[in-house]
Amino acid sequence: MASLGDLERSVMTLLWDSGQPLSANEVCEQLDDDLAVTTVLTVLARLEKKGMVQRERSSRPHRYAAMATREEHTVEMLNEVLGTAPDREAVLARFIGGVSDSEAASLRRILG
Amino acid sequence: MEPLALLLAALAVILAIPVPKLLHTARFRTRSPWATMLLWQAIALAGGLSMVGAPIVYGLSPFGSNVPQALSTAVRLTLDEDYSAMAGLQVHPWHLFCLCLGLLLGGHLLLTLARTYARVLSARRRHRQLVDLLSTPAPHGDHGAETQIIEHDAPMAYCLPGRTNASSITVLSRGLLNTLSEPELAAVIAHEQTHLKQRHHLLTMAFEAWYRALPWLPTTRYGREAVLELTEMLADEGAMAEHSREDLLRSLALSSSEAGAPGAGSPEDTKPLGAGASSEITGARLQRLLVPARPLSRTAVTGLVSASLALLAVPTGLLLLR
Repeated sequence: MASLGDLERSVMTLLWDSGQPLSANEVCEQLDDDLAVTTVLTVLARLEKKGMVQRERSSRPHRYAAMATREEHTVEMLNEVLGTAPDREAVLARFIGGVSDSEAASLRRILG
Repeated sequence: MEPLALLLAALAVILAIPVPKLLHTARFRTRSPWATMLLWQAIALAGGLSMVGAPIVYGLSPFGSNVPQALSTAVRLTLDEDYSAMAGLQVHPWHLFCLCLGLLLGGHLLLTLARTYARVLSARRRHRQLVDLLSTPAPHGDHGAETQIIEHDAPMAYCLPGRTNASSITVLSRGLLNTLSEPELAAVIAHEQTHLKQRHHLLTMAFEAWYRALPWLPTTRYGREAVLELTEMLADEGAMAEHSREDLLRSLALSSSEAGAPGAGSPEDTKPLGAGASSEITGARLQRLLVPARPLSRTAVTGLVSASLALLAVPTGLLLLR
């Protein structure tokens, strides 16, 4: 039995790859695992709460779509990691922290 | 109590302005990062305590000869609305003004600390959600289950602290995996895991909040930068305990944002590592990796530790003295 986290990832991957809104039944069919529709609905509800998917209430059954593309979310993450605004909270410490680009370039020259 | 208020005010000013200014560039910080880190933490605590304590002690001065007793008298007289007794004690409006000022400042500092903590925590939680959905666990068992890989070409590595060490993760990009060799990668991971093991995010939190609370005080920025720099030096030491200096240096050189770009880093003049090689490098973190600094003597470290303990004990002791 896959964990909820793994299921969330496979559902998101499916929604990202399909590029169009899917109903819980369609998600269930397209996932290879032998999953109950209720499980898929639980996963979709969790993803909706996290702000990862959007539910289209106009149609019956409700369809779910990814809020943003995989690339957009990656950019959101990277902005946090690479963000250079001086008064940004230090949420994350980057490995290269405190080393400027020109220093790294000099270091590359020194190391050859 | 007026001399005590004056003493605390002087301590507050010294710890807020000249001390951070001198310490954030002090040479010895690279020779014993952990003792310097201890000193910074003591400065932040003692500085905050004396900054808040000075006006409160002055405000309480007519009410008694020591802080606990004066505080209880002030509270009792206020609750009883005993204005004639207050007049007898010669309570001046300035005393009340300073008392309120101290309490407000203390509240402001504590609230900012709480708010910063909450904001950083929620930003990390959101980031963790994205990592969980977008990354895949590192294939190598020896890196541990807590290493995740995100699909991106820019070479980078960072750590994401969780509530416990077990829920903390190290994140590497595909670009970094493609750029670094196996031993270099292991050094990076050891660096990140030292951050997590030593809970560096907790050591920087107070300074983050301090900076948010008093951004007009230039030294709060020094403190924040100095502490971040020290965590990197400590993590470098952790990495070098198991991996070679060369691997760590090479991985640092290759994980800057320019390194991935074509044509970057022309391997023309190769110099031996050591003195001279670092002349064009100004950052202290790289300097001490290139030319390892002699660790501080035992006496100097004992001095730094004693100074830190004294900084913590003196304002606290003065405030509680009977």
